Order: sequence, then C-alpha cells, then structure tokens
Amino acid sequence: MDFPALGLTLRLACLTTLLLLLFATPLAAWIASGRSVGKRVAQAAVALPLVLPPTVLGFYLLMGLGPATALGRTIIRCLGHPLAFTFPGLVLGSMVYSLPFAVQPLVAGFANVDRSLVETASVLGAGPWTIFRRIVLPLSRTSFLTAAVLTFAHTVGEFGVVLMIGGDIPGVTRTLSISIFDQVQELNYAAANRTALWLVALSFVALLIVYMRSHRTQEAELG
Amino acid sequence: MAERAASQNTPHHRLAVHQQLGPLRLDVDITFSAPWALIFGPSGSGKSSLLRAACGLLDRNGVEFARHDTGGQWLSMSTSATRRRSLSYAPQNSTLFPHLTISENVAFPSQSPRNESNHKPLVEEVLELFEVKSYADRLPRELSGGERQRVNLARAFAVPDAKLMLLDEPFSGVDRAMRDALLPRMQEWLLLHRIPVISVSHDVDEALLLGAEVVVLASGSVVSQGPAMEVLSEERVRMLKALGYTEERP
Repeated sequence: MDFPALGLTLRLACLTTLLLLLFATPLAAWIASGRSVGKRVAQAAVALPLVLPPTVLGFYLLMGLGPATALGRTIIRCLGHPLAFTFPGLVLGSMVYSLPFAVQPLVAGFANVDRSLVETASVLGAGPWTIFRRIVLPLSRTSFLTAAVLTFAHTVGEFGVVLMIGGDIPGVTRTLSISIFDQVQELNYAAANRTALWLVALSFVALLIVYMRSHRTQEAELG
Repeated sequence: MAERAASQNTPHHRLAVHQQLGPLRLDVDITFSAPWALIFGPSGSGKSSLLRAACGLLDRNGVEFARHDTGGQWLSMSTSATRRRSLSYAPQNSTLFPHLTISENVAFPSQSPRNESNHKPLVEEVLELFEVKSYADRLPRELSGGERQRVNLARAFAVPDAKLMLLDEPFSGVDRAMRDALLPRMQEWLLLHRIPVISVSHDVDEALLLGAEVVVLASGSVVSQGPAMEVLSEERVRMLKALGYTEERP
C-alpha cells in the first residue's frame, strides 16, 4: 500500500474542497441570483469539466501555467518556478476539474430557497449580506455538504488532470490513482487491488454521507 | 411626517402604478391619508400587487411611490432600495423563516445592520400583543396556520422606526374571535406609535370593523375611495340581509 500517496491524496482533496467552497460560494450565489445571459455563460463554463476529457483540461492548464503564456510567466516571476509539477499546481488543477461538483449543488441549493422569504427579509430592512448569512446559508446547508463531499470524492478519484499537470513525482504529485496506474504498469495487481479498494471505500463513505444526510433532511421537512 | 399624517389625516403616502401584470392592467393613482387604509376588492383585482409595488418588489417601471416628508414635501421612494423604504410588511402567505424560532423570527427586523440598537423590549411587547409569547421557542412548522399568521403580524409590528405598515390579508387563517380581540389592540398600538397602515382584504366585515378608509379595486382600477360605511354601504346591507337583519333592526 502506497501510504505517502494516500496521505497526499487526502491532503489534496481536503485543501481542494476547502478552497473550492470558498471560491464556489459567491460564484454560485451570483449564478443563482438571476437569469442574465452572462450568468448562463458562466454556468456553462463552470460545467465544462463535466464533458471535457480530463487530458484536455490538463493540457490547457499545463500550457497556461507554463512559460508559453503571460499568466504562466507572471507566476514563474512571482514564485521563482512554474506551478506545473508542484503540489500547489495540483491543487489548482483539481479546483478547475472539480469546479462543477462544488458550484452546481450550491446553485441548486440557493435557487431552491423560497424567493418570498428573501423578499420579505429585504422589506423588513435586511441587506444582501444579512439575507445571505441568516436566510440563504442556513436554508441551503445540505447543499454545502453535498458540494463538499462530491468535491472531495471527485478529487480523490481524479487521474487525467493530475497526471498531465503533476506528473508522477513520489511524495509531491503522486496520488492514489496514479499509484494504481504505476502498480498495474509494474504488473503488481495485488498492490493495485489494495490501493483501488481504498479509493472505493473513500468514495463509498463520501456518497453514503450525502445520501444519509439528504434522507434525514427529507424526514425533518416532512415533519 | 408619516407620524403626523397618521394622526391628522393629512396625506402620508402616494402610490401610482401603471403596469401590465400578466392579463391584468393595473392603472391606479392613490393618495393615502387615513391612519388605516384598506384596499378592498375581489381576488385577482391586483390588491397584493399594489403592496408589492410599494415595497419595490415589482418591476419599477410605471411605479411611483412617495412619502410626505417632515418639510411637507413629497419625497419620491420609487428608486429607493426595498430595504431602505422604512416599511414593515406582513405578506399574505406567512413567510416565516422556517429555521428560526418564533422569537428569532419576530426579532429579525430589529437585528439587521440598519437597526443596531437594542430593540428587545419592542420584540417582547409585540410577542405579548399577538399572544404568541408562549410559542417563542418553537419553530414555525410546530404552529397552526392561525398561530403562524399572528407571528407574521407580530414580526411586522417589530420593525423599528417603520414609517408605513403594509398588511396583506392580515387575518387570513385567524379565527374571528381572535381577530375581533386583536383588531382594537392593533389599532391602539399603531396610533400610539403613529404608524399608518395600508392593508388588503376582500372581507367586508373586516373593512367595517376597522372603520378604515376604503379603496375599492376592481380589475386593476380604483372604483371608489372613502370611509368604509359609505363606500361599502351596499355590501353592508347585503351582508345584514344575508344574516337576517334589516336596516331598521340592526
């Protein structure tokens, strides 16, 4: 069992989930707040990683963060090295790849908050931040859990983007899924099986949390 | 100024709406001067839409909403943000915040940044006024429809420094005995705090009981406006006949 890869995968998934929730919350609130063309364009862009092959995303990230682009050169100037093949680069790639898994549940959660509650709160003197903090956030907390768990599970299982932008550097960018690939390449099927079982268990527990929680919420709503 | 108007029957607010709302064309220009004005009309006549227009919740094109200020001038509120209109509001379907307890719901208006000072006594006062203090720690879903409606009203009464109260079918779901007990208490409280009210109803009984200035609305236009006893005299006679009374034997 590749424990360094397990530790790195968990660290990557936790950090990606945390950062992505921080980034996705205002983005989802903006998307859910209206029907303008700009918002629909943003929604479509956010959903792109769902349909694009991970290698396409990984390729563009690799190129975009490298010395061939102005952004890449700026990053290199600031950090002293490129983001590709580093752990921070992996986090950035994971954030892009898992973006729809964080944004879409939040958009659905925010949009499901009864519009009349928001309107009443506004007439009663509450500003946008108060309404968001005291009405929208508590009423969409299940969506936060769904977004967090799906992002975590999706990051744990990613392969194509990780391989493209991170390569396969032990202790730095080698995640569990890359480790399985290596073990299969070495014809070490027993080790690959053990590693794969870890991934199955992690993903199953994550999904179980979502479904248990959503079942409990439905029961509470019914009375 | 809304305070002075409420006590002296000088105009305090003006609402003009010229707008197409689905199949309904709203064409009204109403000046409110009574401490309690009641917009009366059948379902679908546009009553609730008028309150929403005053709140700034409708498309603002074709809506003019103005308040008579302390200097005797009309101050246009048409472009003001909803939350800055100093309104209190109880919508028709009680929109209590489902995750907050009854006391948290009622305290909500006094906890927004606009109202930072401590308004706990006001919250306590209205909880008692509407006889909902015993439910203070419960969630809305644990209350009956009538109880929820009273909390809905209590929350509207707990808006600090409100300049106008808007009540949409305020006694919907409240039993008549409770309504008859609440009405004089509400009127007394509003007079004391000098807050004018615009309410909406299709209940003749309620309009007569309030003794309010009545604006009769039909198909989006004002049909008549005046004291309830005058404007609703026909409905009153019809109601008395239905109850088996004649005009001479009330």
